[in-house]
Amino acid sequence: MAQTLKDTSVAEIESWLDGQRDHQEPSQRTSVATHMAWVPGEWWDAAERVVRALGDRVPSRTLLLRPEPEAAPDGFDASIVLERFSGGREGVCAEIVTIHLRGSTAEAPASVVVPLQLPDLPVFLRWRGRPPFGRPRFEQLVGAADRLIVDSREWDRLPSGYAKLAESFDRVAVSDLAWARTLPWRAPLADLWPGIRQATTLQVVGPRADAVLLRAWLQTRLGRTFRLSHAEGPKLTRVEVDGKALRPARGLPTTPGDLLSAELESFVRDPVYEAAVRSV
Amino acid sequence: MRNPLAEGLHLPRTPDPCALVIFGASGDLTRRKLLPAIYSLAVRDLLPERFAIVGVARTEETDAEFRSRMKGAVRELGRDRLDEKVWKRLADGMHYLATDFAADRGEDALVALLAKLDEQRGTAGNRVFYLAVPPGAISTLVEELGSRRGERQGWTRLIVEKPFGSDRSSARRLNREIQQYFREREIFRIDHYLGKETVQNMLALRFANGIFEPIWNRQFVDHVEITVAESIGIEGRAAFYESAGAIRDVFQNHLLQLVALTAMEPPIDFSSESVRNEKVKVLRAIRPPGARRVVRGQYGRGHVEGRQVPGYREEPGVGRRSSTDTFVAAKLYVDNWRWAGTPFYVRVGKRMPKRETTISIQFKRAPHPPFAREASEGVSPNVLLVHIQPDEGVSLGVGAKVPGQGMTLRTVHMDFLYGGAFRTELPEAYERLVLDCLLGDATLFTRSDEVDEQWRLVDSIVASWKRSRTAFPNYDAGTWGPRAAEELVRRDGREWRRR
Repeated sequence: MAQTLKDTSVAEIESWLDGQRDHQEPSQRTSVATHMAWVPGEWWDAAERVVRALGDRVPSRTLLLRPEPEAAPDGFDASIVLERFSGGREGVCAEIVTIHLRGSTAEAPASVVVPLQLPDLPVFLRWRGRPPFGRPRFEQLVGAADRLIVDSREWDRLPSGYAKLAESFDRVAVSDLAWARTLPWRAPLADLWPGIRQATTLQVVGPRADAVLLRAWLQTRLGRTFRLSHAEGPKLTRVEVDGKALRPARGLPTTPGDLLSAELESFVRDPVYEAAVRSV
Repeated sequence: MRNPLAEGLHLPRTPDPCALVIFGASGDLTRRKLLPAIYSLAVRDLLPERFAIVGVARTEETDAEFRSRMKGAVRELGRDRLDEKVWKRLADGMHYLATDFAADRGEDALVALLAKLDEQRGTAGNRVFYLAVPPGAISTLVEELGSRRGERQGWTRLIVEKPFGSDRSSARRLNREIQQYFREREIFRIDHYLGKETVQNMLALRFANGIFEPIWNRQFVDHVEITVAESIGIEGRAAFYESAGAIRDVFQNHLLQLVALTAMEPPIDFSSESVRNEKVKVLRAIRPPGARRVVRGQYGRGHVEGRQVPGYREEPGVGRRSSTDTFVAAKLYVDNWRWAGTPFYVRVGKRMPKRETTISIQFKRAPHPPFAREASEGVSPNVLLVHIQPDEGVSLGVGAKVPGQGMTLRTVHMDFLYGGAFRTELPEAYERLVLDCLLGDATLFTRSDEVDEQWRLVDSIVASWKRSRTAFPNYDAGTWGPRAAEELVRRDGREWRRR
């Protein structure tokens, strides 16, 4: 079931969604969250793939915000999809609302999305790319969310950006998918305790964000410095401590959909991550 | 000094390397439940990397034949599609040993095979012995396995299938035999009902929601009703069922566990001992019901789902004058501060109109509804339904105004269905229980004192049956049991919940 609404309003979107709830199967529907995603054009395809992979695991209302600041006139269009997933007895239904924010509306997104959030349910904000810390569009949406999810692998000029991100920690719980991807490697690193207290060098093959975060984590947890030897790669494929290669833990989420799904089930701050980021 | 790197690492639980030895590997349970469950764990990467399975049974079979038969079982009965790569990884560590422990030196061959697997597969001397065998075979196996315990390193766990004994004294004897060789924390008495997601959800519902616990007591609850109904008959299990009946097959274990989970106090934490301590207190507090508060039944010929089905005495292997019960209903009281005077109406039965397991918490009526009597005729007291199977979920019946002029009320149901909230298929009970055992977590297994209390109740009921015989059959297949079961509830001014 899909609908496109040109130059629309919040009331019109809500009315269409309510109509579907009244008349369409499955009659039993449970939503567990509102999932907002800020998706500039270059991230569009990747975001769509993740949202489709996610809907069946975390039935929610997804508000995909696509900023088009150059477009005129100010206002917004919406395309709405009710995605049904078979499985279970009744099937699961996810609402995906794509909102094209035109012109100056792209700088005031909260006024559009806050009325569309599901009441009493947690609100997650996935920000694609490097957030424009301090800009109204970012600050407004962070203010309307319970949890901010970024992926610092998507950022340029690392490690700059982490200090600004740390300023958000007291306002909103933060997840970083780059941090989540290091989990399979943090487990074997923890297994090296207590010998790792004497180690001096961390060698990482993978994205810079992962390497920076792993070193920051080791340093903050162990209270001492590590020399980082980093070779760039698209995925985190190798971690060594003083030349000793580690084997990653199994059974942990690895696909983008799985990673985001896991973060959408997390509701508390992660003090270990926050300490690592603050130390970068 | 604590490992500072371990803080905040939320990793899935991973079992130690081990070998799982299944006694009764040629049986139905292994084929229908165990191997499909183990395969599902393998698909989800939840088994230890260094893992082996040894099937043991009297039937002659080679490793290759065993693997092939189990592969067929996974393909036919597993909830996951067979992935050749996953299967190969599992099958590589799968072996079969044809032996009869009672008659030959089978234990020598098993010990040698397991030692070889320790070397080849790195199973580190850790063993799970799954006794999927008839009750009569358990003692011999326990003695053989137990007497050789000192010969190796590594931990040992023993899974014992129900029925655990046939009465209190045989269960105590069996416990003594097992405990002679194994410590209580090494013994995992399986009741697969406890592995069901919806049974565990009972704990979540009660103890994760602040709104229920204050009203979960005699002040607000009028009565509790628990039904464990099966539409099937005995499915060729006459030999077992003739000696067990519904009372030992379901009432003694599944049903009393559901009562315990419904009535228990909040545990101080979710550790196995805390949860089981609270359950056993409930079982101890259940007053043995007198003969007047128990109804037994046996089905005669009838219709189930439009199909004529034979009566129990006409089932193959059942005697024409059998007095085995296929239905039991009882009114139980839990004599403690929370539940004193609140009846728990419970019933289990075969050849009921449909398969259904439900816990129903019937709350008291509103003390003074300010509506005209006619307006509120359609309103029942609030009821909280926990659907264990099928339609897994929870429903709350509330009174609501019918739209329109005036004030007419009707009961409506607010439903939470697992299938509408989580697409993830519910894992099979055996998956959860096998994994928990590999991890050494006994929370969802029955402790010896629980078993003992369950048999105390059942023995008292069975003793009263010996004093008075019931004319069987006394209900038609496809009905909700004997008329006396209706009267058991009706004489208290209540009804079984309409289904």
